[in-house]
Amino acid sequence: MTMMFALAIAVLFAAGCYLLLKPDFVKILGGIILISNAAILFIMAAGLSRGREAIYPIEPGQRVSDPLVQSMALTAIVISFGVSALMIGMIYRVYMAHRSIDVELISDIEEREVQIEEEERLDQSIDAMPDREETVADPAAEREPQAVAT
Amino acid sequence: MNIALPIAIPWVAGILLALMDGRRRRPGRFAIVALVATMAAASNLAWEVYQNGPVEMVTGGWAPGVGITLRADMLGLTFALLSLGVLLAALTFEVLSGVRTSSFPALVLFLATGLTGVFMTADAFNFYVFFEITMIAAYVLTSYGEDGRQLRSATIFAVVNLLGSAFFLVGIASLYHVTGRLDMVGIARRVDIFEPEAVMLAGLLIFIAFSVKLGIFPFHFWLPAVYTGTRPAVAAILSGAVANIGSYGLLRFFGQILPEQLKLGAPIFLVLGLASIIYGSVQAISRRSVNEVLAYSSIGQVGFILIALAIGGEQGFAAAVLFAIVNSVNKTLLFLSENLRGWLSGFVFAVGALSVAGVPPVGGFLGKAGLFKIAVAEEDWVIVSLIIVGSALSFVYMFQAYQRRYWAPDPEGSEPHAPSPSSVRALVCAIAVLTIFIGVWPEPALWISEQAAMTFGALP
Repeated sequence: MTMMFALAIAVLFAAGCYLLLKPDFVKILGGIILISNAAILFIMAAGLSRGREAIYPIEPGQRVSDPLVQSMALTAIVISFGVSALMIGMIYRVYMAHRSIDVELISDIEEREVQIEEEERLDQSIDAMPDREETVADPAAEREPQAVAT
Repeated sequence: MNIALPIAIPWVAGILLALMDGRRRRPGRFAIVALVATMAAASNLAWEVYQNGPVEMVTGGWAPGVGITLRADMLGLTFALLSLGVLLAALTFEVLSGVRTSSFPALVLFLATGLTGVFMTADAFNFYVFFEITMIAAYVLTSYGEDGRQLRSATIFAVVNLLGSAFFLVGIASLYHVTGRLDMVGIARRVDIFEPEAVMLAGLLIFIAFSVKLGIFPFHFWLPAVYTGTRPAVAAILSGAVANIGSYGLLRFFGQILPEQLKLGAPIFLVLGLASIIYGSVQAISRRSVNEVLAYSSIGQVGFILIALAIGGEQGFAAAVLFAIVNSVNKTLLFLSENLRGWLSGFVFAVGALSVAGVPPVGGFLGKAGLFKIAVAEEDWVIVSLIIVGSALSFVYMFQAYQRRYWAPDPEGSEPHAPSPSSVRALVCAIAVLTIFIGVWPEPALWISEQAAMTFGALP
């Protein structure tokens, strides 16, 4: 039984890790869900025991299965469910903002945005510098064409 | 009943605030009042604990040993008050400069609920539950601002930390498998029976989980993207309050529950701590934007906490607590002052920078001096020299950042920045004054950290 648990956890965890490394937010989410389920299965493997349910009254001499493990697993399931729902919401917001869930594409877009911002800042400072020179150079530049015209 | 109040007040207030529009004035003020009330309840509890020793309560009226226990001791309360203070500062900052989304105040209060719960529970699994409550609020908070960039950094943050949570859960389950207990005192007592190697793997998993939270060297990769992507108030919350879970968790689990494993693993703590300091500092020096410098500086600063833990003993733990306090205050101050404009804003940033560098008389000096003292007492000259190198490097990068930010002329033609509202500047100035105050009159902070570290000696 322990072997089966170990195998199941290993397969779930490995599949989760594989998905986690994909450059796609939905696959990453799938990976997270698989990994948290592997953790939940680990809780079960760590202390699940055979016996009847631990509900009062219990006849003396009867084996009772460990209720703590079950309640821990249930709590962890609820938490991972809630977190998965939240993650789906967040990924949807990312999709709405970028129209894409491809991690690489999004980081490309962001890098470009940062570049454009920096270029704009540079442009502004370059624009600002000749402005002053122009105020000095302008009269001459204006006079010259006049000279040609006359 | 007293012990449940610091968890119940922010929880109820958070639910009420979730129904209101947080962008308006009144809900913001209500949130501030609720946080102040939480802090008052926690301080009241701390006074009680100081006089009569740790307070315990079994939830749901169960017999002790059956139900989940809440336990308030000086260590937990120190971290609770510290984190609540950081949250209060960040919330006030955001309310004064204008809240952007309706859920912000409610989320801060839910975060406060989770944090006080984490710091006041005596049950390992309950610790995980509160930890998740905190993290869920933190995931949503990271996306605050609702820019594409913030959303993406929030998603990275969530994915990495969920992986950390899964590791933590497996660690708790294996502790339960070995000891058959979930209450921290019970686990600590039973772990003593076995050879230390028996729970080494559980210890390793828990260490990884908290290292991810703190952003220690090989687990830091998520941190720069998240800290630079979020807004200043959220970055202050993440590095000043949420990261406390990491330092508190390491102290609680390795100081109290697994002390033998800490002794065995001390070289790992030491090597990773030193690697964090060097890596964080070198990266911070090479970065240009203030945001990135601060993010990498956080990786460097948490290394010092690991070193204090590796040295261990009551003095080592006291130094770790002291450093965690000082580091939280520093990071809150720096992240909040980073976008500040106008009169005194340069002064405030300089105080934070001096504090990170560890220059007297600012607070940061105290944390570094405490660490220096125990390292010298241990006569471990490698650690001593690396602490000096680390401090020198932090001095270099903080002043590079300061220079770029305040001495470089603004690019010509760019709009002159409007000064920040004076109330915001007054708030950040108050934090700066507090930082100086900690350095000038160090007795209170030293006393608090010693009291917190004494918790370990007084355990049943």
